[in-house]
Amino acid sequence: MAVEEAIPRTVGKGKAPTTVRFWHNANTVVLGCFQSAQLEVNFDACKQTGTQVVRRFTGGGAVYHDAGNLNYAISLREGHPVIPKDDNLQLVFRRLSEGTVKGLRDLGVSAEFEPINDIQVDGKKVSGAAGSVRWGAVFHHGCVLVSSDLTILGKVLNVSRAKLSDKHVASVQKRVTTVREELARHVTTFEVQDAIVKGIEECYGVHLENADLTKEELALAQELYDTKYSRSEWNLSP
Amino acid sequence: MKVQNPETAHPAFKMMVRRTSDYKAPGGKLVRVRMEEKNGEIETIRISGDFFLVPEDQLSKLEKMLIGAPLKARELKLLVDRFFVATRVKGLGVSPDDFVQAVLTATVVE
Repeated sequence: MAVEEAIPRTVGKGKAPTTVRFWHNANTVVLGCFQSAQLEVNFDACKQTGTQVVRRFTGGGAVYHDAGNLNYAISLREGHPVIPKDDNLQLVFRRLSEGTVKGLRDLGVSAEFEPINDIQVDGKKVSGAAGSVRWGAVFHHGCVLVSSDLTILGKVLNVSRAKLSDKHVASVQKRVTTVREELARHVTTFEVQDAIVKGIEECYGVHLENADLTKEELALAQELYDTKYSRSEWNLSP
Repeated sequence: MKVQNPETAHPAFKMMVRRTSDYKAPGGKLVRVRMEEKNGEIETIRISGDFFLVPEDQLSKLEKMLIGAPLKARELKLLVDRFFVATRVKGLGVSPDDFVQAVLTATVVE
């Protein structure tokens, strides 16, 4: 999460190029920045399943990450030609989800962007996104459920009845799907990553090259980790 | 004959009422309010949810502005609208009126 924030801060200053980051981690609940840990997280289930709880700097809802989940994050400077001109967050979500939608469709998943911030397959969520316009940057990140364990997801997240009231389903688990389920075959996060890279390149007319984080990004990430993302005051605020 | 002033003869006990709401905004996002009310005014309030507000670091200002506010639609709307104008915050999946409704629909916790 510290790296996730360090990149747009550095890109916004013009000290790093437009960046697409892919990553995944072990069992983790990631809360939106406005969410209450006490209300959203089943801590008993987290303990039983070895799931940690962290908070990101963007809004939106809680998501569950595991090794079968692929996270992507796009950081651009404000005014970048790929971004809608008025930085409207809804248009940003739609525009910056296009590469992922294209990648998933090329894999054979009939993915579609569903406002406000989801990518769905036949009404089931396969990816959720969040983002912000801050620090001179436009930032968009999302997680793709590639082969995640949906049973754990259903246990560790408390979802309010009000949230599911218009979804016509009884649980969050029934509202989501995975790339593996949709393709009915084994699929790796790296295969999905390659497809999204191609999708981004084709949608935005760009070429992506592998690169390391800059020294400034690494230093800032360490600072953010020490002062924010390693602290329960941030991660578990009620 | 001296009449004892009842206000000074006994300590006043003011009733704090806990209220809660999980309000699903028409824009699709959830606004969760947990608050304490005293004499019809907001004593403490915590607003949470899965909405988007940009920039993100402004929500605590809204919570502070609402402390002491009466639980009345007109006054709450004035405060929330003032918050959005003053901070130039932009919401997605949630509107200023949704915050007002979330507070107004909070029910008493038994």
